[in-house]
Amino acid sequence: MYFMSIEDDTLSLRSIPDDWIACKDCDLLLEHVDTPLGEKALCPRCDNPLYQPRQQTVERTLALTLTGLLLFIPANLLPVMSLSLVGQETSTTIYQGSLVLFHEGLYWTALLVLFASIVIPFCKLLLVLFVSAHLYLERSSALLPYAFRYYHYLDEWGMLEVYMLGVLVAVVKLKGMASIIPGIGLYCFVALLLVTTLMSSLLDEDDFWKRIEQALKRQLR
Amino acid sequence: MKQPATARQMGLIRCHTCGKLAFDAGHDGYEEHCPRCRAHMHMRATNSLSRTWALLITAAILYVPANVLPIMTVTYFGSGQPDTIMSGVITLLQHGSYPVAAVIFIASILVPVLKMVALLILLLSVQLKWALDDRQLTRMYRAVELVGRWSMLDIFVIALLVALVSFGSIAQIISGPGATAFGSVVILTMLAATTFDARLIWDKEVTDD
Repeated sequence: MYFMSIEDDTLSLRSIPDDWIACKDCDLLLEHVDTPLGEKALCPRCDNPLYQPRQQTVERTLALTLTGLLLFIPANLLPVMSLSLVGQETSTTIYQGSLVLFHEGLYWTALLVLFASIVIPFCKLLLVLFVSAHLYLERSSALLPYAFRYYHYLDEWGMLEVYMLGVLVAVVKLKGMASIIPGIGLYCFVALLLVTTLMSSLLDEDDFWKRIEQALKRQLR
Repeated sequence: MKQPATARQMGLIRCHTCGKLAFDAGHDGYEEHCPRCRAHMHMRATNSLSRTWALLITAAILYVPANVLPIMTVTYFGSGQPDTIMSGVITLLQHGSYPVAAVIFIASILVPVLKMVALLILLLSVQLKWALDDRQLTRMYRAVELVGRWSMLDIFVIALLVALVSFGSIAQIISGPGATAFGSVVILTMLAATTFDARLIWDKEVTDD
């Protein structure tokens, strides 16, 4: 157990102690207690994961973000897979699926696919690059809190891993119909997925916020 | 024995975006925006229940066309056959692709239904102050938040299939209007999970005392 409940008799506060936290899901007030690296602190009342400290989170996040951005271009421009049927061959990239949906008149669905599989994952990488590069170089910018906030808002709307499962399902569906050839884009996409998944699990949001706060304070001084 | 306190009881607001604690309105140190991330501060998500109700009802209405209308039409050597979500699962079963049929069934049928039922239970339990296990309700809420995105699976499969299978008269897959309705259901239920403030589950405990 890595928490301490704060009891009801310390009213009339002048300032809020730095080590106080509240649970996101049940609002219980707790005192932050250091946990061993990588271990999750859970809320004693509702089991919500409160925080999970990560080692060298800024360095690792920055490295993975740069790798992710490099992989992003081939993963999106090169064909994910090709299909051949009686001598004809078709191939698709990630954005082409969205393009075809758009031509068929399903504008909303086309936009949904485009955003969830390309636009939002890309924006997330750019925002994290901006924030982690600033923190790594110990620079400050008034935009830091906004950038990280939008990363937080966009987080759940990027769906690379769901797209990957979609590729697998599509392969099984087409298996009996024609022969499928995986493209270079698919390998890049798998690598991109691994890198971004690792990035979000090694990114310690709490630590990032604390560092952003410090960076802004330094700037004011 | 003293009771553990919530941030609200202590006159504190937890920023919904970055988790920073700040003073509630009425205190000298009160600020309208989070001192750390500059997000607007609220004690609880604004109009959480009515927003969640609105999104959930819309999703439930769209769930009908999502299942009745074809999500895509597969034409193979001239004979075309429109597929709905359910008929797609049945086709996969007939071809013996049991694991994939199970994945699609879970992601496209089971998860959306369970998610809407779970949100309904959460809304009713808060509104009618049902004496349910709050810890279990909060767990259920987190499960809804976690699995929501996986229902987009079918939409991505359609996007891949329509782009790949375009062999003119030999084989062709064309998307159908059911896909739009289904995509909307997924997005609306995800938004409903976001607008629902889990702390409301625990708030009713306090007012009962």
